[in-house]
Amino acid sequence: MSALYERFERHDHGRGLKAQATHYCPGCGHGLAQQYLAQAIEKLGVQDRTVAVSPVGCAVLLYYYLDVGNTQAAHGRAPAVALGHKLAHPESVVVSYQGDGDLASIGLTEILHAAQLGIPLTVIFANNAVYGMTGGQLAPTTLLGQQTTTSPRGRGREMGQPLRMAELIAQLEAPVYVERVALYDAKQRVRAAKAIEKALRLQVEGAGFSFVEVLTECPTHLGLSPVEAERWVKERMTPVFPLGVKKDVAATPWGPWPEPSFDPEAVLAAVGAEPLADGAAPARVHALPPAGELGFKLAGAGGDGAQTAALLLVRAAIDAGLDATHIPSYGPESRGGTSYADVRIADGQVLSPDASAPDALVAFNAPSLARFGPAVRPGGLALYDGSVIAAAPALDPSVRLTGLPITGIARELGQPLVKNVVALGALQALTGIFPEERFLSTIREALRKRPALVEVNAEAFRRGARAAREA
Amino acid sequence: MARMEARPKPVLREDWCKGCGRCVEVCARSCIAPGEQVNPGSGLVPISLRLDDCNGCGLCVDACPEPYALVAAGLAGRLAAARPPAPWAPPPEVPAERVPVPERRPLVLKGTHASAVGALLAGCRHFFGYPITPSTEGAELMAKLLPALGGTFLQAASEVATVNHMYGCGGAGRPSMTFTSSPGFSLMLEGISYMIGAEVPGVFVDVMRAGPGLGNIGPEQSDLKLACRGLGHGNTHAPVLAPATPQEMLDFTALAFELAFRYRTPVVVLADGHLGQMTGKVSLPRELARPGLPSWAVPGDAAHRGNLVCSLLLEEAQQERHNLALLEKYARVTAAEQRAELFRCDDAELVLVACNSPARTAKGAVQALRAEGIRAGLFRPQTVWPFPIRHLAPLLGRARAILVVEASDGQLEDELRLALSHAGRAPGEIRHVRRLGGVLPAEGEILAAARSLSAEVRQ
Ligand code: SF4
Ligand code: SF4
Ligand code: SF4
Repeated sequence: MSALYERFERHDHGRGLKAQATHYCPGCGHGLAQQYLAQAIEKLGVQDRTVAVSPVGCAVLLYYYLDVGNTQAAHGRAPAVALGHKLAHPESVVVSYQGDGDLASIGLTEILHAAQLGIPLTVIFANNAVYGMTGGQLAPTTLLGQQTTTSPRGRGREMGQPLRMAELIAQLEAPVYVERVALYDAKQRVRAAKAIEKALRLQVEGAGFSFVEVLTECPTHLGLSPVEAERWVKERMTPVFPLGVKKDVAATPWGPWPEPSFDPEAVLAAVGAEPLADGAAPARVHALPPAGELGFKLAGAGGDGAQTAALLLVRAAIDAGLDATHIPSYGPESRGGTSYADVRIADGQVLSPDASAPDALVAFNAPSLARFGPAVRPGGLALYDGSVIAAAPALDPSVRLTGLPITGIARELGQPLVKNVVALGALQALTGIFPEERFLSTIREALRKRPALVEVNAEAFRRGARAAREA
Repeated sequence: MARMEARPKPVLREDWCKGCGRCVEVCARSCIAPGEQVNPGSGLVPISLRLDDCNGCGLCVDACPEPYALVAAGLAGRLAAARPPAPWAPPPEVPAERVPVPERRPLVLKGTHASAVGALLAGCRHFFGYPITPSTEGAELMAKLLPALGGTFLQAASEVATVNHMYGCGGAGRPSMTFTSSPGFSLMLEGISYMIGAEVPGVFVDVMRAGPGLGNIGPEQSDLKLACRGLGHGNTHAPVLAPATPQEMLDFTALAFELAFRYRTPVVVLADGHLGQMTGKVSLPRELARPGLPSWAVPGDAAHRGNLVCSLLLEEAQQERHNLALLEKYARVTAAEQRAELFRCDDAELVLVACNSPARTAKGAVQALRAEGIRAGLFRPQTVWPFPIRHLAPLLGRARAILVVEASDGQLEDELRLALSHAGRAPGEIRHVRRLGGVLPAEGEILAAARSLSAEVRQ
């Protein structure tokens, strides 16, 4: 079966002669390159597996002709689109066919990254040294001195120098095969057809990324007859774009490709979902004020563990059947700067997650206490680390201002990092938001993967609680 | 293909010969000469062929750029007999399946992570993205979790590459997604226009940050206008979902995949930097999705070989028809997909309108206003496009004023005003609380504005 349609129904609805004629100008090299591609698809028997990606440029209508799965890409993006296809269905054979403006100018990023990624794809690059579809402008591969509509006096070096794509791609590690071929005589055409077939075969075998640059003729914009254009490519282009194999290496074939799993158990395990405890809904054991909502601010320097403590508080609340939210905010310094956490816990749904006027503040350093202490709601709690804050500022008299040696207790335990858990223990004792056991089981669970740390954290919690009760 | 062995002599199909002359030179037997007569069908001058000395070498056939001008004899007969095929009939769709799962313990997740989990539960196994704060944590979680599910994570060369990977993957019929943030979203717009034009599904989670330009990484609702009015060039619209909680980050991301395939469209999930970082309780849905394969897809198999994913329609009339079909689709989406949460709106005289993080602060404000005896409610669009005017309209009889609360320069208010105007509704006063630059409206300023507006309209 031919990989070219016998009638081009997409070409002007297959009306008249267009049903069997291409849209290319007389003598255009695209017609040859794409026939060789079709022949390679036939020979390799992959017509049913092939997806061709049409570029923007004169070859934009490739999908009129190739009887394979077809996609049309934005200007320059064909290799990115091709990768999307390949990764979606690795068994498909994906070919990106692009011209010089598309591949070497606007799409340079896409082609280089696709090439160096190395995943099996085949790119056919038609280089005719000029923009065809837009009417003969300067291309990235236009020769120095060559006249185009945007280099009317010839390309000077202030317009940049021609890009040698085959050489550029060949010096990357990942591609397995790179060759530059031409179409100007019978011998070159045979080579071109063979190169295209080889490039496609390497993909079918899973070897890797392959790239064939084809020097094609654009008689129209060279202002030459097709036969003169053949000569021009031979005499003018090949000195700048030498023909030949630029890279041909053996590589470990790609694959086997991962098979997407939709097994519900696997999906739930991957996202960390766990069965309901005892198959029953968790009990709602808590002591929230009648308003049904509490706000907490935990504040310190980066490294004080305010965020971790906030997350433990949230987890404990949710384990207790409540709703809870946490929002972190960090100072401008990315390391060691300020680190504040807003936590809200509600009986129903947390409305606003913001805790700018918290019911309870935990301050790990003096700036945090100075900044947030005054914001604590009347009747609320301001707990601070007395080991590091020598003198607390005066706050609203209704606020319970409580300093405890939080860092000191952690140091006594030989584990200064657990000071945030000491603070949680104290917070629990001072507010009675949950039964102590609720917190402890949340801590145990959070440390499931580091069992060695469970005991010191549990002890930190208990010591914090005890210090608060004794204060 | 040096076909030097004797083979049948070539056949010239004159109507299709463009007279380029490339075959002339290659014939060592001088069988081919430039022609002189204009072909009345093509208007071109085909070559003339005298095959007396022809040895069937085939070099002329290999030199001809036209596939069907100079051909082997057998093919010529087939080509002459070729009739227009029956219209291409793609195979039936393989529908997506929904698999029930037992109830699980709620997770505690930040917004970006909840969104990633939602994508996995919705059957997404392909992620493409470019790191950008504050969206990257979602991508990082996908990078961590996808391998265990046989999925693919590709860090793209840029946002431009990202959207085109999605175009390819979606065109192949597979669900794919990205996480990005405002500057990255801007870069994706060209590709989104192509996706809309070619009707390719894909999910974009945009964790918005402050602009313009590089702006900063603080939360701003900076892309509401882009998402609702500016999805690239041309006649472009796509569903835009606006979650306000980590739970909705999961639910709406999963919903986005459903909508993307139901309507063959990209879908935008607009979050903000605040919501992306917000951790909360997230209950898992009781169903997972196993994606199917749409009939229009181009997966690279025999059944779908005749399919084409393309936004190019050269004929103006065809392009216009395509646009009318898109408009018809937008109308269907508008009719079926308006979503909103109404909080204490039943008897509200003052309706606060807000989405994303500002909606949560506004919700707290509503509660406080109610405690003061002000009959306030919150209208929270969950779809910003289509704007849920259907859910708002019934409130307009009682409501005397609207207060739009947003972290932008009025992008939500513009959507609201446009929707009201299209619906022919002229409500009372519309005021706003707006913050910009990474600052969210605070409860205090919402309360102050609401109190004074309420007092004013009561007079
Ligand atoms: S303009 Fe040039 S490249 Fe384009 S079809 Fe014509 S000859 Fe070919
Ligand atoms: S097949 Fe060979 S000999 Fe015959 S016309 Fe063609 S080029 Fe000449
Ligand atoms: S190469 Fe083909 S199109 Fe050109 S003159 Fe010969 S037969 Fe005609």
